[in-house]
Amino acid sequence: MKKFLPLLKVSVQSMLLSSTNARGRSRKKAATGVGAMIIIAFLGLYLSGLYSSMLMSVLAPVHMEILVFIFMGIFALVGGLLFTTFAVKGVVFGGKDNDLLLSMPVSTPMIMASRVTAIYLENLLFSLFVLLPAGVVCTMMSQSGLGHSPLFWVRLVLAALALPLLDTALSVLLGALAAFLSVKVSRGALGQNIAMGLFFAAVFYLSFHLSGMIGSLSANAASVMESLSWAAPLLWMGEGILGDWPLLLAFAASCVVPFALVVFGLGKVYRQAVTAFAARSAQSNYQLSAQSASSQKKALMRKEAQRFFGTPMYFWNAGMGLIMLLAAGVASLVMRGKLLDFLDMVGDSFPLLPTAAAVMGFCLCTCPIAAPSISLEGKYLWIIRESPIADSALLWVKVRFQLLLTLPCTVIAGACLSIALRLPLWQSAALLLATLLFAVGHAMFGMLMGLVFPKLDAVNETVVVKQSLAANLAVFIPMAALGGAGWLYWLGSKMAAWTALALPIALLALLTAVCAAVLAKRGPAMLRAL
Amino acid sequence: MLHIEHYSKTYSGGKKAVDDLTLHVRPGEIYGFIGHNGAGKTTTLRAVAGVMDFTEGTIAIDGHDIKKDPVGAKQVTAFLPDNPDLYEFMKGIQYLNFIADLYGIPAQQRTADIGRYAGAFELTGSLGSPIGSYSHGMRQKLALISAFIRRPKLLILDEPFVGLDPAASHLMKEYLSELCRGGSAVFFSTHVLEVAEKLCDKIAIIKAGRLVKSGPTAELVGDSSLEDVFLELEGEK
Repeated sequence: MKKFLPLLKVSVQSMLLSSTNARGRSRKKAATGVGAMIIIAFLGLYLSGLYSSMLMSVLAPVHMEILVFIFMGIFALVGGLLFTTFAVKGVVFGGKDNDLLLSMPVSTPMIMASRVTAIYLENLLFSLFVLLPAGVVCTMMSQSGLGHSPLFWVRLVLAALALPLLDTALSVLLGALAAFLSVKVSRGALGQNIAMGLFFAAVFYLSFHLSGMIGSLSANAASVMESLSWAAPLLWMGEGILGDWPLLLAFAASCVVPFALVVFGLGKVYRQAVTAFAARSAQSNYQLSAQSASSQKKALMRKEAQRFFGTPMYFWNAGMGLIMLLAAGVASLVMRGKLLDFLDMVGDSFPLLPTAAAVMGFCLCTCPIAAPSISLEGKYLWIIRESPIADSALLWVKVRFQLLLTLPCTVIAGACLSIALRLPLWQSAALLLATLLFAVGHAMFGMLMGLVFPKLDAVNETVVVKQSLAANLAVFIPMAALGGAGWLYWLGSKMAAWTALALPIALLALLTAVCAAVLAKRGPAMLRAL
Repeated sequence: MLHIEHYSKTYSGGKKAVDDLTLHVRPGEIYGFIGHNGAGKTTTLRAVAGVMDFTEGTIAIDGHDIKKDPVGAKQVTAFLPDNPDLYEFMKGIQYLNFIADLYGIPAQQRTADIGRYAGAFELTGSLGSPIGSYSHGMRQKLALISAFIRRPKLLILDEPFVGLDPAASHLMKEYLSELCRGGSAVFFSTHVLEVAEKLCDKIAIIKAGRLVKSGPTAELVGDSSLEDVFLELEGEK
């Protein structure tokens, strides 16, 4: 335990509380860690609170609260897998401190266990923030007094502690598979991108059908329960939380046993696994042919593209919003009939234009492509610094790369939504103007966040892309700006039709101009100071 | 070629890493920079390469002030750190083309130079593989090739012999000499005193951030050896 705790601390630090730069500024470091924790907590609370109350409103009247816990359990399990599978590849198998730690007088299983425990803690954080809000919602909405007994909360907490063990066991196995494939398959990044694409396609499919499923849940609750027999441990969890102690114990055992098997099994072959996953031998059959030249800016853009598309962790975390943006646009055209029926039903009072803008803005917010790009330079920053490139040129290339991806998607989605929603031409123009302004401002704001909260010494890309304060702030602060624009729309609509559009557009233009001015004036100096 | 005038570097904690260093490297010279660990060699080389900011003094390369005209200075310079980390998501050939594009090297020239240097360092066959699959020595060779294809007027190397096999070290020394015969200059740090003594036209010895001795190698060494001179200056003999 004396050796385990420092090892665990290092692993957790590398995942959540990694430092902002090599020189170490403790206050900033603490702020980064706390900020990341708050954001993960907020995300879990928000999603769980929203979906738990939606489900509970339908299921509580038919006394099928158990399904809420089963669905939230599945949500925590899948969400945890999503968060940690690729983190496993980096933290458990691909840690840059592998050589250092494996050379230390510490048993190999202990090193592995400390890293797996760090993954467990991240899953635990998400599990707690998914299951506990479900308990609160149940206490408030259940008609059978569930949640008023302290024992209910004891059982819920036990379930929340056990579930991440199963999650961790699965993510370690999937992460090992991903690490194995990235070494053995020549186009490993492409394979990972395809696998993630299929996974997200399934998530999208379920999301699109969720509202319909929730609507019919109350009538078919019993048959839904029966159809979930494949997820027996989660059924036991639901029964256990509601009072069945033996089933709760069975659930705990079904989580502990796979976790123990993975930890002990992998612990025995950990050194071999780390060695095998790190061993990539260079081929020796390349034949040099005539090379072609391109401009400095094109070379820098190509480098950004190679990093973005060649790093699945970066691509899927920062590029998800682009896929959602295009999916929203295409889906609005495909389901145009249903959409128009819905609009006829709600009448003219529905704020169509701001809703479309908010959906597009939300998707754009989830594309922090520029924000982590400075931190991703990390140990490679010397290459750019010794090259004959002006500091400002490097920053603007990174901004332009984000715009190269977001602007076309914004135009396509905006055009699709305008057609699907039958927006008048002037409203379509306003929608495009507002969202394009937002996309430009978002890219520059992300770049600024990357400069203010750099993480040049991060142990892997996961820490930078998923958990850095820069990336998270580049998602959530623009969302707040969107909220502000929405508020101005509401305020403006009280005055005149044109002010409803002019005020939010003016706000977005102002914020974009401020970001551009700060980036142009301070950005190069901030980059030099890194 | 390189003019360092009254250069000082103080770190944020207040530690003065280099204090009032003045040093000139002429075209055609191979200039060795030696000193114990932490003496300020790397700090100086990084400042010369424009990788690190500094507090006092001026550094000019081929007439370009590194602070006032960094792009102009870097255009004629190539820098190789002691442990060059190269983009692992790129293939070797992609990295060389990336560097060639940044320096505006024409297609024909880069093809010829890559072929020449990669062939000599026996790396051509591996240029199609990702850098992530390279060994330390292969990365070192790739970084060296990326420096040579720039045909720099000033080549700055930090501990260039670390990680290279004897054949590659020998080859590198030949190419350094060839570069200088063409009018370029080389400024490098090393702990391998025998190599410095044989290879360098001039040597500077730095101790605790201050230049303690510099001049032509023959004058500096005299009848003894560079190792004796160095240890004497370090107060260890």
